[in-house]
Amino acid sequence: MAYRVLIVDDSPAMRSFVRRVMELSGFDLSNCFEAGDGAEALRLLGSEWVDAILTDINMPRMDGEELLRRLSGDELLRSIPAIVISTDATSTRIDRLTTLGAKGYITKPFLPEQLREVLERTLGAAND
Amino acid sequence: MTDEELLAALRESVRQVLEKMFFAEPLDGGSTALEADGLAVRVAFDGSPSGALVLAITDAAARRVAADFLGEDESSVDSAQTSEVICELANMICGSILSRVESQTIFRLASPTILSADHWRFHFEPGCGRVIHTVQLENGSLTASAEIQEKLCPTGEKSGY
Repeated sequence: MAYRVLIVDDSPAMRSFVRRVMELSGFDLSNCFEAGDGAEALRLLGSEWVDAILTDINMPRMDGEELLRRLSGDELLRSIPAIVISTDATSTRIDRLTTLGAKGYITKPFLPEQLREVLERTLGAAND
Repeated sequence: MTDEELLAALRESVRQVLEKMFFAEPLDGGSTALEADGLAVRVAFDGSPSGALVLAITDAAARRVAADFLGEDESSVDSAQTSEVICELANMICGSILSRVESQTIFRLASPTILSADHWRFHFEPGCGRVIHTVQLENGSLTASAEIQEKLCPTGEKSGY
């Protein structure tokens, strides 16, 4: 499975973990990009196209909510499915992010299979 | 929320985070992680209720946990990476507790901060609104303290926050 995926998280350790889980799940990571916050992600998306975005919520400068808001307000970028990976599993937060356009929500802690399942479902739906 | 409910949320969160994300098999109880060579991290949260999670972990256990999370050998993980992973561990445990405590409120989690040795033991003193839980890991221990601010304590009992 060769997809272009962008991982957005202010923790390099978490980005590394997500990358490793994807690798173990059989995803080809030759085109996996990383950003430390929403602003960096948007800059990167100005020059690189990706098939999916995996983003944290709590980040400095531009958080995940604002990133989703910017993505949904952009005619081109709104078609990229965004999946939220967060410790926050409150129903209020999940509803809010889904309204903002999140196509999937993974709550930390998660099992590697959960990430794979959500990614495959989201990427599959995007390709339908 | 009672202290018992908060403790149950803390225990379950510690276990689930360590098992799912760090591939560890924690055992409840045993000696605490309040050692001189340990690492302590605090994550404050703002919402209803507000409070903080403080986590202390022995040095050897911290290195192992970091190596397992990063998928690297212990020898190749430096202290900065170890601190970063333990901050992420505290962040996940704190988020997990809050999701169990209140599913309707939006909480704001502050960035995890490393505590200096002079200050962190205070967070592990028993008190009203504060619960403490210790687990044994393969080569050390982890002690976590969860404290909530909006708690009415009986007269004469010191608030844990």
